[in-house]
Amino acid sequence: MSDYMIETHNLTKKYGDQTSVSDLNIHVKKGRIYGLLGRNGAGKTTTMKMLLGLTAPTSGGVKIFGKPVYGNEKKILPRVGSLIESPGFYPNLTATENLKIFAMLRGIKDPRYIKSALELVNLPYQDKKLYSQYSLGMKQRLAIALAVMHDPELLVLDEPINGLDPIGIAEVRSFIRELCDVRGKTILISSHILSEISLLADDIGIIDHGRLLEEESLAELEQKNRHYIHFTVSDSKQAANLLKTVFQTRIFEITDKNNIQLMEVNLPIASITRCFVENGLEVSEAHLCEDTLEDYFKKVTGGEGIA
Amino acid sequence: MLNLIRCEFWKMKRKMFVQLVLAASFLFPVPLTAIVYYLNISQNKYATKAAAFDALWQSVIGFGMLLLLPCILGIVAALLFFMERDNDTFKNLRTIPITSSQMVIAKCIVLLLFSILFCISSTVASILCGFVFWGVNDILFKVLFSAVYGVLIAVSTLPLVLLIVFFSRSYIFSVMLCVFYSIFNLLSTFSMTALPKWLLFILPTPSIMMWGTQQMASRIAVNDAEDFQNFAQMGLIPSTPQLFLILGAIGTVSLLLSVYLYKKRSE
Repeated sequence: MSDYMIETHNLTKKYGDQTSVSDLNIHVKKGRIYGLLGRNGAGKTTTMKMLLGLTAPTSGGVKIFGKPVYGNEKKILPRVGSLIESPGFYPNLTATENLKIFAMLRGIKDPRYIKSALELVNLPYQDKKLYSQYSLGMKQRLAIALAVMHDPELLVLDEPINGLDPIGIAEVRSFIRELCDVRGKTILISSHILSEISLLADDIGIIDHGRLLEEESLAELEQKNRHYIHFTVSDSKQAANLLKTVFQTRIFEITDKNNIQLMEVNLPIASITRCFVENGLEVSEAHLCEDTLEDYFKKVTGGEGIA
Repeated sequence: MLNLIRCEFWKMKRKMFVQLVLAASFLFPVPLTAIVYYLNISQNKYATKAAAFDALWQSVIGFGMLLLLPCILGIVAALLFFMERDNDTFKNLRTIPITSSQMVIAKCIVLLLFSILFCISSTVASILCGFVFWGVNDILFKVLFSAVYGVLIAVSTLPLVLLIVFFSRSYIFSVMLCVFYSIFNLLSTFSMTALPKWLLFILPTPSIMMWGTQQMASRIAVNDAEDFQNFAQMGLIPSTPQLFLILGAIGTVSLLLSVYLYKKRSE
């Protein structure tokens, strides 16, 4: 049996002539947070909808807990919590009443589940405020409460921080991290906000135009990111000569007449700087740099960056 | 399924659905009581007080249950079926998982309960009015028979539910459909003798009306008894198996198509 909680095989979704998701193969490991990263319209939500059986794939398959989703919905879906797109609740009911409806349909009789889910997202239990009077952030919190209320093993969260204020974002982030670290939940989270994914995810899948471009752990991605020592000097050609002759290295790149990047990061910055100065060069900057995930995202998508 | 039906009622909290349906059931009994009362005084139309009440009750069945109720059920159906679409709650239900067929069946059962409630409430309203001006006989029969009407009318309204799900547009469009459906029922009832028998039998409202009148004929004084005898001689009254078969077929086809369309719309 596979070790993956979620596994897709050439998952494809077409709407008429338009291909929304194409031959997607993602692998979500147990007890990890998998971040599906992509721009708006990249195919993240469609993928998640297919995982949950909300829309049928045109071709390919989805396995959750090692079983195909289609045909096993009644066995699989009760073990999954989800938040897809915007929150959806009945506006004429309070948060507690809304959760009561879904708890009842899930066969949850103990009201403590509702209470603890609301407390988890800092919403009051049995408050009189109607859902229609909630702010976007409160609605989003309620949607997260619904996703976790039945204590699922797997969470599928589509852009869970949408509409939250900075404090709310930090709270939800630590709450998601805790769900994974303390309670051992497996979480698939999608976002177009790169910084969020880099702060939360253990594994990352980069999706663009419906195709999965990369799937690696965050640690592997960080290793792949370029590290270099950046120097701003009065004459980059002379600095290059000194690097060749004194430090016996050719792994550098002259970016312009004043800037040079040395890729061999284990060379001592202090010694190089001293050498440059002793040979009459003015050194105005010397520091260790590394490409950000955004740079990497730009590189793999071959386009512009992401928020 | 029971939980699903209970949840359908919970979802209506603060929407005053039940109260509005109950209020609508009083819409015809009150003015019709006044009309029957003044007709009886001015023309001495009814032989006994019980006959006057029977005339009132049949008018309430005709106008309230057969004409107004399908329209009300259509509007309630639009509210119920559009609720998940408008509030974007499909996804929450389907990931439980609740299937589209379960959702449609639960909503149709709610419609059935509303229909029975309306019919019983209309009869109770007529009985209350009847107690004020005349006497009322055979109360249990009348209440039970109105419940049977509630079931039959609910089933006969399923094609309207199908149309509402099919068009799945605004509430105004759905209300227009309901009004059109009621007018169509009224016109088909008025032009019964002009319609081919097979067509008359597949039109639910005239069939229910004729069948219902025949079932009640032995217990109450039937309005326009002479016309009714003519209809019977012309073979325009369906038998119980015929009515149940026709309504069963209409209900099943409408329900299956509604499930199919609802599923498609929810994707």
